[in-house]
Amino acid sequence: MLDIVGLHKRFGAVEVLRNVSFAVSPGEVVVVIGPSGSGKTTLLRCINLLEEYERGTITVDGEPIGYRIDGNSGRRVRMSEREIARARERIGMVFQSFNLFPHMNVLQNIVAAPVRVKRIERRQAETRACELLAMVGLSDKAAEYPIRLSGGQQQRVAIARALAMDPKIMLFDEVTSALDPELVGEVLAAMQRLASDGMTMVVVTHEMSFARDIADRIVFMDGGVVVEAGRPDQLLFAPQTERVRAFLKRYNDRYRI
Amino acid sequence: MKEFGPLIHSFWYLLRGAGMTVLMATSAVVPATILGILLALLQVFRGHLVQSIILGYLFLVRGIPLLVLLTFVYYLMPLTGVDLPPFWGVVLVISLYYAAFISEVFRAGILSLPQAQWDAARSLGMTRGLLLQIVVLPQALRLAAPPYVSLCVSLIKATSLVSIVGLWELTMASREVVERTLAPFQIFIGAAAIYFAICYTLALYGRHLERRVLLGH
Amino acid sequence: MPFDPHFIARLIPALLEGAEVTVELATLTMAICLVWGLLVALAQGMRGPLGWIAGSYIQLVRNTPLLIQLYLVYFGFSMAGFGLSGFASGLLALCAQNGGYVAEIYRGGLQSVSIRQFEAGRALGMGRWTLYSTVILPQVVARVIPPLTNQSIAIIKDTSQVAAIAVMEIMKISEVWVETSANTYDVFLGAALIYLALTSIAGLVGKLAERRLAFAQ
Repeated sequence: MLDIVGLHKRFGAVEVLRNVSFAVSPGEVVVVIGPSGSGKTTLLRCINLLEEYERGTITVDGEPIGYRIDGNSGRRVRMSEREIARARERIGMVFQSFNLFPHMNVLQNIVAAPVRVKRIERRQAETRACELLAMVGLSDKAAEYPIRLSGGQQQRVAIARALAMDPKIMLFDEVTSALDPELVGEVLAAMQRLASDGMTMVVVTHEMSFARDIADRIVFMDGGVVVEAGRPDQLLFAPQTERVRAFLKRYNDRYRI
Repeated sequence: MKEFGPLIHSFWYLLRGAGMTVLMATSAVVPATILGILLALLQVFRGHLVQSIILGYLFLVRGIPLLVLLTFVYYLMPLTGVDLPPFWGVVLVISLYYAAFISEVFRAGILSLPQAQWDAARSLGMTRGLLLQIVVLPQALRLAAPPYVSLCVSLIKATSLVSIVGLWELTMASREVVERTLAPFQIFIGAAAIYFAICYTLALYGRHLERRVLLGH
Repeated sequence: MPFDPHFIARLIPALLEGAEVTVELATLTMAICLVWGLLVALAQGMRGPLGWIAGSYIQLVRNTPLLIQLYLVYFGFSMAGFGLSGFASGLLALCAQNGGYVAEIYRGGLQSVSIRQFEAGRALGMGRWTLYSTVILPQVVARVIPPLTNQSIAIIKDTSQVAAIAVMEIMKISEVWVETSANTYDVFLGAALIYLALTSIAGLVGKLAERRLAFAQ
């Protein structure tokens, strides 16, 4: 479903992503963990081209996104704004700071993109929105404005909003990091439900126990490279590399996994 | 001082002047706002050349008094052969002058919107045009509304300057009455009161908007 | 007509004389307003009738045009018996209006200092005087300099309006020269350039002051 090959990105003189490659199969849930500054958020943002990158190709559901290789010259060519926007429709993203549109209520937030971007008829979009709200457990909040919702509720609305575009793959960027601890659970539950429904997901998170529960595969990044990848029980309990071991030890000391 | 007779007798005349003031201000504020929003968008989105031109324009307008510009155009108009009625001449100058300040206010509004809003809109597949229309501008305009209203008040007061180049509105009307009645104190206080009524009402509306913005949309 | 070097040679000294008056008027206004505005701001902060009077004063001068205030002082006062010269009237009106704006700037500066600064200072056991002089005031000064710089630029531009009461500053001299010669372009070009120079200098001074005094940020 998602294929990242040879991704390179630098911020000025610093290389934040170094030859990152990995693939995600349909229905697979991949969790990316690693210390701050490892490039995991940047990686996620490169996938739907919220960040530019110097080298590499990214393909979603067989279609390239952001840049394509020109058949004749073999060089990479930036896709047009409209092509990129169209490609983004297939990718759903949920952010750390929720990013709901404050001037619209919950329902309007969810239907805005389907109606204006995909030209879906409003009533149809609203019905779908209500289904999605029910799925995340917020049916009664359709007319509320984001400012009146808790962080956890806003985040669940953000998930519904991303799902309303019917994406092939969902990206989650530290979606619980900004939440009070007691609100984290409801968001993770919604994500768990998505995973069991078979959605392809790439999740960047600090929540190790959640990673263990939800992931089909865990990828550990540090310093802009993929250090190790494997199944949760493998990587978390019998890591192959020293860096992963050190990271997990520090984590265990603080949180008791 | 108790003799406000002259004021009462001429009050209707002054009110007609105020009507002209309001007409002038409204005629100027509409193009100024449209141009201001355009300039703000151009500054945010277009490249260096456009930005340099706009910065040059802003520099000129912020450094030269409106009165100088008005007088300049007033003396210049007949020479260029452009046959513009004086009313529209001054409205044009006032519009161009205030468009610069309005653009700064809207530019600040657009830029103060968190990058996160742009990210969310783009991640949903919105093109730049659409995201401007339904995400960025509605929020930026709301943020810019209070300082914009202040500028509108300033514009209304600025219309008084056209009296110096001989156009008729409230200030000119009050000067005429003073010349006739030789009661400057009463008449100018009357004119001030009328201006105050118009401007203060608008200012109160601006403060109401400010409170709404602070409360979070 | 334009760019006649002989004409320009005679024009420049005349304009510079006007510039002298402009600068005098503007600097005096700014200096007086810095103090007067502070007094008004302090008065406004107090409860009771004094606060209300100060608040009303600010609203009054902000919502009436400077030109009307100029006419009121110049013509009104002379009728009432104590006639003021053009320069003095201009100074009085300019200080009255800009005093209100400066008071608002002070108030905004004080309000923008986070309440946490007060709390932190109190928690450290600082008395009121120490708290204000070592923690609050430096921050207020830093925040207040940019808007005050803008206000000084506005004052320089406002001085052009005293031409209406026959003060020989730049605008008035320009008017005279335009009417006695056919050379509109050069006169206004000269006037515009001088105003641009003055406002740019004011802006630079403000930036310098910001750098020197705003290390608190």
